[in-house]
Order: sequence, then structure tokens, then C-alpha cells
Amino acid sequence: MRKPLIVTLLALLLVPACRNRTADHAPPPAATAPRHGGIVVIGVLADIDNWNPYLSETGFGEDLLALLYPSLVTELPDYQEHPPTFAPSLAESWTWSDDHLTLTFQLRRDAVWSDGAPVTSRDVLFTWQAQTSPEVAWTSSYVKDFIEEVEAADPYTVRFRFSRQYPYQMMDANDGLIVPAHTWGEIPYSQWQTTAWEEKTLSAGPFRFSSYSPQQEIVLDANPGYWHEGRPLLDRVVWRIIPSQFSLVTQLRTASVDFVTSVPAAAAAGLADNPQLRLVDFEDRAYTFLAWNNRSPLFADARVRRAMTLAIDRQAILDTVRPGFGRVAVGPVLSTMWAFNRRLEPLPHDPEQARSLLAEAGWKDRDGDGLLDRDGARFEFELVTNSENQELRDVTVLVHDQLERLGITVQPRSTEVAALVALRSRGTFDALAGTWREPTQVDLEEVWHSAPVDEPTANFIGYSDPEVDRLLREASAQAEFEQQKVLLDRIQEIIVEQQPYTFLYELRRTAAINRRISGAVINDATPYYNLDEWYVIEGQQAPQ
Amino acid sequence: MTRLVLRRLVAALPLLWLVATLTFALIHAAPGSYEDQLDHPRLTPEARQLVRERYGLDLPLHRQYLRWLGSLARGDLGVSFLYRRPVAEVLWEALPATLLLSGTALVLDLALGLVLAVGSVRRPHGWLDRLITVLALGVYGMPTFWLAGLAILVFSLLLGWLPASHMHAVAAGQLSGPGRFLDLLLHLGLPAACLGVVGAAATARYLRATLIEVRGALFLRAARARGLSERRLLWVHALRPALLPVVTVLGLSLPVLVSGSVVVEVIFSWPGMGRVLWTAANARDIPVTLATTLLGAAAVVLGNLAADLLYAVVDPRAREAP
Repeated sequence: MRKPLIVTLLALLLVPACRNRTADHAPPPAATAPRHGGIVVIGVLADIDNWNPYLSETGFGEDLLALLYPSLVTELPDYQEHPPTFAPSLAESWTWSDDHLTLTFQLRRDAVWSDGAPVTSRDVLFTWQAQTSPEVAWTSSYVKDFIEEVEAADPYTVRFRFSRQYPYQMMDANDGLIVPAHTWGEIPYSQWQTTAWEEKTLSAGPFRFSSYSPQQEIVLDANPGYWHEGRPLLDRVVWRIIPSQFSLVTQLRTASVDFVTSVPAAAAAGLADNPQLRLVDFEDRAYTFLAWNNRSPLFADARVRRAMTLAIDRQAILDTVRPGFGRVAVGPVLSTMWAFNRRLEPLPHDPEQARSLLAEAGWKDRDGDGLLDRDGARFEFELVTNSENQELRDVTVLVHDQLERLGITVQPRSTEVAALVALRSRGTFDALAGTWREPTQVDLEEVWHSAPVDEPTANFIGYSDPEVDRLLREASAQAEFEQQKVLLDRIQEIIVEQQPYTFLYELRRTAAINRRISGAVINDATPYYNLDEWYVIEGQQAPQ
Repeated sequence: MTRLVLRRLVAALPLLWLVATLTFALIHAAPGSYEDQLDHPRLTPEARQLVRERYGLDLPLHRQYLRWLGSLARGDLGVSFLYRRPVAEVLWEALPATLLLSGTALVLDLALGLVLAVGSVRRPHGWLDRLITVLALGVYGMPTFWLAGLAILVFSLLLGWLPASHMHAVAAGQLSGPGRFLDLLLHLGLPAACLGVVGAAATARYLRATLIEVRGALFLRAARARGLSERRLLWVHALRPALLPVVTVLGLSLPVLVSGSVVVEVIFSWPGMGRVLWTAANARDIPVTLATTLLGAAAVVLGNLAADLLYAVVDPRAREAP
């Protein structure tokens, strides 16, 4: 499964799902044998936005709904070594045609919805129709662009026909959760937007819907008829929506909440001393950057952008805003991904070289006031970020301090998300601090191709390099990962050379879980990776 | 009296219209819009257009305004962008929680305010009065979010007496009737205290000032001369005229009673109107933001009217006033 590229300018607080290798090596605490029963309470900052996976826009929505609705196959968290591979789930096996354009899935015959109806090829077909319907307007419908047709050959056989061969065919076929045709199919698409989907939930996953009070709590119970691996050990899982980060951390301490998928770096040190809690630290699939508006006369020159990166002490920023929770970033592909060009190194912190690059570009202190100028204008710009994200706000202040030493005036400014998105889409900013959360698919085109004006793009800085454009198009036309990798390597070299962004740092994340829970494997695949195997240690009380 | 009420209500209509229009203008003047929130780089122009059409955002602003005003006149508050449900339904669900929280806080505010004021005026400028003054001004000067954080640290984390969020415990569904009620009271404790204590500090200051003033009045001197006890003088004769400013404050509390306290509801995860407004404003959910603001404005108008009517009850002179 793959998430669309999500800008978490919106605060790392509303953390969506991620996936990578298992990072949880801690042995369970003096645990009893796995046993049935018990309740686990999970604290989250924001509520689910919609109970229909095709209308939900948040990572939390996707993670939660994946406990109810099945997928054809399960993407394994092995993307660090090679492109992701897949394990059987609803589909017990699959075959490719010789031309690699037809993918045939054989579905399990024992899979059932919680109302007793079997999960069949009809559900898969219906799901594809909904995913691609303009009326539903699923925001990730583009992943189905190269699927020409889905055919339900018999109740347990589904065929996907592709219009071309490319590396991510399996991922695209699998993307999106399977929803029930026999009940949801009766609701016309035109009514989907206004349907109360929490009343229409059916489950073919490990848990089933129990109750929901908006902005308060979500309760899922074990699905006794779970066909895949049997009934989960827990009786019930409760998500409590606690919009204040401070409250969330306090409730971890008071054991009112058992599990939080991401505790703020600032609070993690304090929580580590709490004997009741186990902290699990793992790779996050995200990086924080300073985006230079390449259309701005200040940053159109690659020498200036490179000078910015050389002038900024990224390790110092990292040590200040999240000590121990990240590493200095290199380029547009995360250094933990299989596609990362391992010959590349992060640019060093070298203010002297930065000074000479700036001088080459015409920026010198001509009037002796300690500030750089060119053609009578001073080097000053505004650095905007999301006001809800304290970490990014701190970053802008640190950048201000560091660049001041070179005679550059930075005005840090923070603004709420909606306003920030508007600034970004109009391109009316000098520089912007943000965080990209990356899918397991390596898709550089989205951010780095100089897309035509009317084409949707995440290239909001107006980066444009004909060579990169050509290589990107060539890479996406490759049928095999190996051929693609060569091109991706070259693209990374060019981007690192030109520094359209200053790639600040890659993030690590910390989850906190109460020691009364055992069996939890916590990684960035999804926060609820093996929730069906979690259990409460005997004699441990449920939180109040 | 009925004519007064009617006249005031009719006069309130243009005011409400003005508030509605201003809010509409402000919300549209703010940068960013709902479809900007759908922050997907790959959202196609067609899909974006569909979203705009769905929510009427594709219409020119004046048409959006007229359309909204027309629905409003028919009592239709529209459909929430965020919850995809009628706004009235969303607000109706949030109202009881806010009424409970603000109502409890208001009772606490008045009761505690009254006790503190009476304690103060027993010996104005005595040590008790000074202590109460310092405490009251101190609490009144604290930002609510800070006070709330402090309350959580002390009463939830250190002492473990009270829960720090939500209206019910996780397992409240399995409790008996009285158990559930007790659970609700425990959860109500911290947020209501945070709101109530700050209010009480203000009430105590108002009441103290007027009580001191009233105690020097001629009618009280006459009553004292007739040999009435100090207790009777205070509770029966002095308090009623001294309550006048409190009545005004009470009238002004109605908006908070209905629209809730954003800060306290967010910190304590209380599912009320303030929480709804906060979420809606952040998500640029225009219909909910407009409706909540309008409701707040209506509450201000009604609160003032209620205060005037109460005035008439407390102060006979006001009944004659036009």
C-alpha cells in the first residue's frame, strides 16, 4: 500500500501512516503468555474525517479503516533493501500474463464480511469502479491511471488489465481498501458525500465497528469471524481524541492512555524515565526542508541556493529541535530507501565557501554595514512556515540566526495551514520550511518535474531543469526497477548539485506504549501493524 | 413588558444580519479556502472543480452570500464541509456538553464569587479582604490555557484525583446510573473549575465594590438604626441592590454558555461548541464557522435582553424605564 505524498506542513502532529522495517527489538516486559481479553486505549490528536476510505483524507483515517476493510495483498515493510514486495491477504495467489499486462488474483474462499456475506470478486470490481469514479473524486485515483479494466472472471477470480508495463503495477492494483459491494453499491455516488458512513461500516478485517462519538472516541471490537488469522487477542480498542499535545502526554503518564504513535521529541526524554512506559524509536519516512522559491530573483541562481545550504549548520539545528531524533538529509530520496544514491554525501557546513559562492553571485557587503547587498538591494527574505508546528517555527528562528552571521536578513513568519497552502499554490513566497512525508514508492516526478501550469504538481517552488525533466520521464517509462534506479541516481546527483531545497534532516519518531500491553510490534508500516496480536498482561487493569 | 421584549427582538434582527454579513466577509477575506485544505498535489483540476461545485465555492462571492442568506432565512444552516452533515445537527449534538460545562462553571462562578465578596466586605481592607483581592486578581490575570495546564499537572498528574480529558471514562458504558453520574462529575471537575474560578474572581471584585458602596447608603444606615442584625442587613438589604452589576455580567455570560470556551474545551477534549468552532475554523469549514458565530451573536443579543429583564426584577426603578 502506498500513501499519496502528503505535505505535513500541517504539523507532524497529525501523523499519517508510514512503513519501514521493524524497529522494535525490545523484549516484552515480564510478560504472561498471550491471552484473550482486555481493552487498549490509544490517544490520537485528531478525529477520523470520514468512515469511507475513499472520502477520508487523513493518514489516521487510512490506518484505522485498514482494520476494518481488507486489501488484496499486504505490502511488506521491506522497501529499504529493494522495492516493496507483497504477501497474500484477501488474494491467496496471483499470476502475471506473459506480456506482464494482465494480473490475475485468486481470492480466498473463506473471507466474509461481518454480516456474513462472502467477500468476492464483485467487491473488488465495485471498489475499482468507486476509486475511478469522477463523482467519488478519490484524491488518489491517479494511481489507477494505467489500469484499463478490472474483470470479475468468477466469484473468486479478478483480472486487472494494464495499459503499459511499469515497476509499480502491483502496488497500483493493490492500492485502496476493498469495500462491500452488496451494501455500499446501493448508495448512489451522488449521495456518498452526505452519507453517514459510520452507520454503514461492515468489516472483513480483524476488528469491527462498535461505537463512535465525533471528536471524542472511536471504539472497535474484536471481529470474532476474522477469516485471516482468527479473532484478535484484545476484546476492544478505544481511540480517544485528545487535541492538545500536552494533554496527550499527560495522559500517557497517568496511564489513561496506553499508546501514542508519536510523542513530541521534546517530551520523549521525560517519558523515558517513566517505568510504566516503553518508548520505541524508529525511522520515520519524512524529511524537513527549506524550499527556495526558484522563481524568485533571490534564489533563481543555484550558487545562492547552494550557499544557503553550506551556510546553515544542519546538525546544530537537528541537535536543537530534535536531539537524537534524526540525521542530516542528503537529497530528494531518503537515505533509508532502496533507491537512495549511496555515493552521495550531505553537503558540509562551510560558511566560508558559502561566502565565496555568494560573492560570485554578486552578493557582497559593499557599504560595510555587515549586510550583503547587490545592486543597492540587501539580501533579505521571508521564511514562512506552519504556525501549528512548533518544531518548524523553531527551525525558522535558528536559520535566521545562522544566516544573520553571513549578513543575510531572514524574517521568520508563521501562518496557519490554509493560508500557507494558498501561499504555496500561488507561489507568492520567498522561502518555506516544511516536511514531506514520503510514500514507499519512489516518485520524484511529483515534486521535481517542471509540470505545465495546468497540471497538478507538488513542485511549488517552480524548479525547472530540462535534463531532470527528461530523466524523470525516462525513469517513469522503464519497465524494471533496475533500469529505473540508474536514472534515479543521476537525478539525485543533479538535484543535490543544484540545491533547489536545502534538505535539512530526515526524521526519526518515537512511539510510547504502556508496559501492561505486550506483543506489540511497532514500526512505521502502520501504527497498528499487528494490533490483532497485542494483548494485556494478566492482572493489569484497563485505563480509567 | 411583552412589548419591550418584542421591540428588542425586532431591533436585534438587523444587528444579527450585520454580524452574519461581517463574518461572511471576514471568513472569505482570510487567506486559504476549504479546497486548499485538500492538500493533494495530484488532485486533478477536474476533481478540484467538483469539490468547488459540491460546496458552492465556484459561484461568485455575492451569489454565495445570497444563497447562504436565503437558506439562513429558511432556517437552513447548510451542510458542514468537514462532517458532511447538516450544520444544525453538528451544533445540536455539541450544545448539551457546552451547556453542562458552562452552566456548572457559571454556578460555581456566582457561588464562589458571592462567598468571596461577602468575605471581603466583612472588614474592607482587613487581612482577609487583602488576601482575597490578591488571589482574585492573580487568578483573573492568568491565561486560561496556563491555568488549565497547571490544573492538569496538579490534579491529574501529581495527585491523580481528577481525569484530564473527555466527558466519560473509557469503561463508563458498563457503569450503573449513579456510577455514570459520578464519572461525569469527576470529568466535569477540572474544566468547570478552570472556567468557574476565573469567573468567580471577576464576580467577587464587582460584587465587593458595589457591596462596599451600598453599605454606606442611607437606607442601610436607617435599617441599621432600626436595630437589624448585620447578617440580615447584608443578605436581605444590601445584596439585592449590589447584585445589579452581577446581573449585567450574567447577561454577558450567556454567549459563553452557548458558544463554549474554545481554549478549555480543546485542552480538556470536551465535545462542546467551542471545540466545534475551533475544528471548523482550522479546516475552513465555512458553514459551521458562520453558524457558530451567528449563534454567538444571537446569544449576545438575547443575553443583553435577559439582563435587562432581570434588571427589572432586581431593580424596580428599571421597570419604568422605556
